[in-house]
Amino acid sequence: MQSFVCITGATGGLGKAFAVECANRGWNLFITDISENALSRLADGLETAYGIKVLYYACDLTDADSRAWLIEEMSDRKICLDGLINVAGLDFEGNFFDRTKEQIRTLIRLNVEANLEITNELLKLRNRDKTFRIINVASLAAFYPMPVKAMYSASKRFLLNFSIALREELRPMNCTVTVLCPAGMPTNEKCIRSIDAQGFAGRITTKNVGYVAACTIDASLKGKAVCIPGLTNKIVRFAGSLVPSGLVSQLIGARWKEAHRKACQGNKPVLRTDN
Amino acid sequence: MCSKYNVGDMIIVITGATSGIGFAAAAQLANKGAFVIGVGRDKQRCAEALQKISGDTPGARIRYITADLSSLRQVRDLSASIKSVAAETGNEKIDVLINNAGTFSNWYVSTEEGFELQFAVNHLAPFLLTHELLPLLKNSEAGRIITVSSGSHYRTRIRWNDILMRKRYNCLLAYKQTKLANVLFTMELNRRLGPSSNVRAIAFDPGLVNTDIGLKGTAGIAKWIWQKRKNKGRSADIPASEIVWLIENVDARETNDVYWKGCKPKAPSPYSRREDAAARLWEISEKMCGVRWSAG
Repeated sequence: MQSFVCITGATGGLGKAFAVECANRGWNLFITDISENALSRLADGLETAYGIKVLYYACDLTDADSRAWLIEEMSDRKICLDGLINVAGLDFEGNFFDRTKEQIRTLIRLNVEANLEITNELLKLRNRDKTFRIINVASLAAFYPMPVKAMYSASKRFLLNFSIALREELRPMNCTVTVLCPAGMPTNEKCIRSIDAQGFAGRITTKNVGYVAACTIDASLKGKAVCIPGLTNKIVRFAGSLVPSGLVSQLIGARWKEAHRKACQGNKPVLRTDN
Repeated sequence: MCSKYNVGDMIIVITGATSGIGFAAAAQLANKGAFVIGVGRDKQRCAEALQKISGDTPGARIRYITADLSSLRQVRDLSASIKSVAAETGNEKIDVLINNAGTFSNWYVSTEEGFELQFAVNHLAPFLLTHELLPLLKNSEAGRIITVSSGSHYRTRIRWNDILMRKRYNCLLAYKQTKLANVLFTMELNRRLGPSSNVRAIAFDPGLVNTDIGLKGTAGIAKWIWQKRKNKGRSADIPASEIVWLIENVDARETNDVYWKGCKPKAPSPYSRREDAAARLWEISEKMCGVRWSAG
């Protein structure tokens, strides 16, 4: 029986890195993202280069109907899953007060609602013969209240807490849950601009996506609860935990406000970054 | 002194032809009467390059095709477009393919098919493009494939365990690896074509050149270093004229010299001369591109 690893947000920078890492390990993939074209090209490339089977289905994870069709497609095809990697997520960087109703809803729908619903449904398709592994992509932002990324960091804290709790619930069902908390990653041009705008601090905390994906899958195979790639980031996380959160928020706010100003030089007051 | 070959009879394909060495070579070759097919990633820059060359050389026979070489799908489409442009001239042949397009990236960037950007553009694209255009190159009296490598290919090796350098990406080591791949590809291509083929491959070393390769999509130290280094580099016209000299004067079938710099043959690195490494890289590249080179 063929089994697959499902990856959401598979054609973004981090999603692709996970897809390639899984393909390199010989695992078949079921990938989803919003663009069918991008999925098709990635699937072709991976099947050709790695000799694995890659199935795909385009889905707008912010839309409940679209999610339902994805689940229906996977159930009808009796897809058997060894793992689920929830990468899909986004941020509308900038002051909360400048956000529209639509942006607020989209962020919550994608980062929180979609993650929960997909996880809940796809657990039903898990391969009972093996350990089922879930990886949720959160962020280092999950640990700190982050001005300029207030909704995003809160949504990632939601995922962090939820994942650690879920891990305990699913333990008797032979399932593991690992939550990934990376720093900023150079996943696309906007993110790279954002990282460069942070100067030196941006560059030492940034890890390439290939490294992050490999690190995370290794952690997941060991059943670890939290994965923070990079020694600098682990140290930053530890140091941050010693300082009152209000003060941390102030310090981070100063850094992000400056970076956001530089990254947005020109016209747009909002910088949308996708995982 | 008479050159061996008349460029005016030739159909020449050049990738990365909207700036740097590729643009300069396209301009020089068009000026000498060749039919030039230039390839660039950006439609606007292709149009500007075409305008500049046509303006400088009235009656220049030059066409530009837009293709993003980081996508193997686009490389296949490009090959089809090149074949129909060549057919339009009444001569279904290509005399010279100059694999010049190259890129550099600070960060690990994934292409649409999941490969690393430098590896895809600097090595896989020339590999696949050459494969697709080989039938037309064989129709030439003396088909040449000139791949622009670099002195960076010395003192490096192929990382077989992680050839895309996904886990420990280092932008400069990744670049050096692709330039080494260019030489290994050239060596293995000649072995597979065989000594009696009318098609031969050459690797070209342009030396240090003042181009923008290190400025596109980089930042920080890498960008700063390139900004300083490039000023010591030669103008792109000079290596372009060396490529033109190669095309006009070197009968690649009569020489064993495969690596050329400054109009003279040069010994490439010992690693690049390893037959086992070249064969292994070839197999990996075939797998990634989904092609199988037939014998001969």
